[in-house]
Amino acid sequence: MTTTVTERVDRLERMWVERPGVLGWLTTTDHKRIGLLYFWATLVFFGAGGIEALTMRTQLIEPNAHLVGPTLFNELFSVHGMTMIFWFIIPMTTGAFGNYLVPLMVGARDLAFPRLNALSFWIFLASGIFLYVGLFSGNGPNAGWFDYVPLASKVFDPGRNIEIYTLSLILNGISSTLTSANLIVTIFKLRAPGMSFNRMPLFCFAFLAASLGLLFALPSLTADLVFLYLDRNVGTHFFDVAHGGSTLLWQHLFWFFGHPEVYILIVPAFGIATEIIPAFTQRKMIAFPLVAIAELLVVFIGFGVWAHHMFATGLPSTTLIFFAGATAMVVIPSTIQVFAWSTSMIAGRPQFKTPLLFIAGFIFMFVVGGLTGIMFLAIPFDQQTTDTYFVIAHFHYIIFGAAVFPIFGGMYYWFPKVTGKLYFERPGQISFWILMVGTNLLFFPMHIVGLLGMPRRVYTYPANMGWGSYNLVETIGGYITGIGILVLFANLVVSYFRGAPAGHDPWHGPTLEWSIPSPPPEYNFATIPVVSSPYPNWDHGDRERDGKRLAAGEDVHDQGHQQPISALIDGWRVGIADMPHSSPWPILTAFVLCMMATVLVVEKFVVAGFLAIVLLLTLLGWHSKEPQEQ
Amino acid sequence: MSEITAETLDPRARERFPIGWWGAAILIVSESVLFGMMIGTYFYLRFRNLRWPPEGVPKPHVLVPLVVLGCLIATAVPMQLASIAGRAGRLRPTRWLLVLSALVGAGYFGVEVWQFTQDLHTSTPQRDAYDSIYYTLLAADHAHVAVAVLLVLWLLWKLRHGFTRYRTTALRAIVFFWHAVIVLTIAVILTTLSPSFT
Repeated sequence: MTTTVTERVDRLERMWVERPGVLGWLTTTDHKRIGLLYFWATLVFFGAGGIEALTMRTQLIEPNAHLVGPTLFNELFSVHGMTMIFWFIIPMTTGAFGNYLVPLMVGARDLAFPRLNALSFWIFLASGIFLYVGLFSGNGPNAGWFDYVPLASKVFDPGRNIEIYTLSLILNGISSTLTSANLIVTIFKLRAPGMSFNRMPLFCFAFLAASLGLLFALPSLTADLVFLYLDRNVGTHFFDVAHGGSTLLWQHLFWFFGHPEVYILIVPAFGIATEIIPAFTQRKMIAFPLVAIAELLVVFIGFGVWAHHMFATGLPSTTLIFFAGATAMVVIPSTIQVFAWSTSMIAGRPQFKTPLLFIAGFIFMFVVGGLTGIMFLAIPFDQQTTDTYFVIAHFHYIIFGAAVFPIFGGMYYWFPKVTGKLYFERPGQISFWILMVGTNLLFFPMHIVGLLGMPRRVYTYPANMGWGSYNLVETIGGYITGIGILVLFANLVVSYFRGAPAGHDPWHGPTLEWSIPSPPPEYNFATIPVVSSPYPNWDHGDRERDGKRLAAGEDVHDQGHQQPISALIDGWRVGIADMPHSSPWPILTAFVLCMMATVLVVEKFVVAGFLAIVLLLTLLGWHSKEPQEQ
Repeated sequence: MSEITAETLDPRARERFPIGWWGAAILIVSESVLFGMMIGTYFYLRFRNLRWPPEGVPKPHVLVPLVVLGCLIATAVPMQLASIAGRAGRLRPTRWLLVLSALVGAGYFGVEVWQFTQDLHTSTPQRDAYDSIYYTLLAADHAHVAVAVLLVLWLLWKLRHGFTRYRTTALRAIVFFWHAVIVLTIAVILTTLSPSFT
């Protein structure tokens, strides 16, 4: 019998083995490899965004400093914001964590569209290179990450900076849309037998919510970017008041995307928290259905609150009150989750290892950021503090504290699964405490300095404003945060080389990824698991039956690159799909798209048209071989 | 690859909603929201301007766009029949129904592009915000019709060797996309013609 199992596993390995070497990575369609590519690429962008932040903080360490001038400072804060949102948090969550973990958690062998997944990564990478080539060539975006017109119009910003902004974000948006489509269809159609929606891990609910949010929010940004590009390069008048356009149109379209975007950034972090808490308290999440609904609801309500970013633009009072009320509603699903996380930790037996420490830190930061967020509901307060450092403090507590802390916790939590090694616990805890001290020193004084009237986006300030000591503390906090991040990654690197073997399941984790070897094999599951609860790895009887089914050759699907397809609602089997193998077409398609964007920067429309034909030919090549022929 | 008939067609190909169909559904949602934003922009600008279209800009022609729109809507029938024939593994009717739809779709595209160029003789997108959104909406919609026709042509080329599961899924996804393009076109044409109805 053992021989038979070995033979089956060997056959699966032969079927799913990836091409070796660099070429293998360039043409890979394996969700785990693409997840790792996302991970490394986003870390590079995170490093770039961090250097930009520290440069700005160093410039602001004292009044009248001259490390950088106003022109470069404009580019630094614009590209910093863009990088951290579009090239770090979203791709790190949906791209790296989502890619690597969602198929493992739902019991699938890959994402629904593996080649589209590869295309998504290469377009993402190309868009980031595009942005940074713009920055290093002196054409970095310079009108802030939300790029308001008329500042961003041709009259006031005549260079190519805004073209880099619009086209890099359009490319990035295509990539994010493809990733979200892939995650949605994977969650809908590739779940393991028995994994009805009420048995799906909360992590997957969170990634479903984020993906749906991206799908519905990004077109608004794309339309806005296209209009701005056309205004600047074709001479249209969408945002030109003198010719019947509207400057507020930009803000409406931008924030219709931009506010859901905030929840898109943090909801995956909620998902990470809902996996780490059960693992380190060894108890199921309290209020599971409410948390699942709250994860979806927070994104849904996020679509009805965009104008709270526009309280100072002169909108009618009725509109302001409506959007203030709608914003207040976000508190309900957010608070449900805060109570569920907290009570689950209290009611369980918490082991404060590094991942759970980061989640505890996350809850603290989220509550602080949430409380200052509620303050903005008071319309006069919002109008008073808009465009001050108070706003910077609020959203950094949310975006760094609530979105990035769980990402760090997740890196530690799944490090043993991805590498097969255990990380070193003590340096991990030290990195947490350095980051906790650093971020609070960095961001808390911004509340005070904002209330004292310091506007955001100033490259320097006079000495007599009383802001100097706060800025000094913030900059010290910035460097401490940088040290904390370095300690964190140094620990992970050293652990990769010297860590003890982790085994399948070092945490006694609740979800399916902990039921397979570390690192997972290319085919993920030798036999497709059958699931009877949202914590399938704690259902020992089910996992033992999986072993018996493998021995009996049930649900092995070793006759090709095969993936079972499940019904939308109850998760039971409705078919088998032939999944594509590695392919050169995704990277080629991304290259052509990037070339199109490049020529559009310099208004070479005919060349862009020619490249559109090349793109069509590339897509023909893509579909020249069907998955069952490979 | 040998031709697959109704008898030999892989039964898995008849799965109710294959993942390729779901992929098309997600694309359609994304495109629909994009058009929703553009149509929203049209009305946002319209309600912020006292005169719409602005003084000196003629109201859009109604007759030709509505007649050709009717022809495009009619193609929903042969496309749906093609999908049904394809799922039953009947290759010849599938091909002919696709050819018919592609011809009408291409005809619609040709007439609309001609109308577009005629309009450009009287006003341009650079004239004012009305013209900017008018031409942008129409150009985006025409591009979608062109993509739909190209997809049908590609499918016809793939079907020269008969059905496979992949092609059957592609047929269903393309038919779905075609229907969506018709709905989007109705929305766009009625939006751009709306000043002529008031």
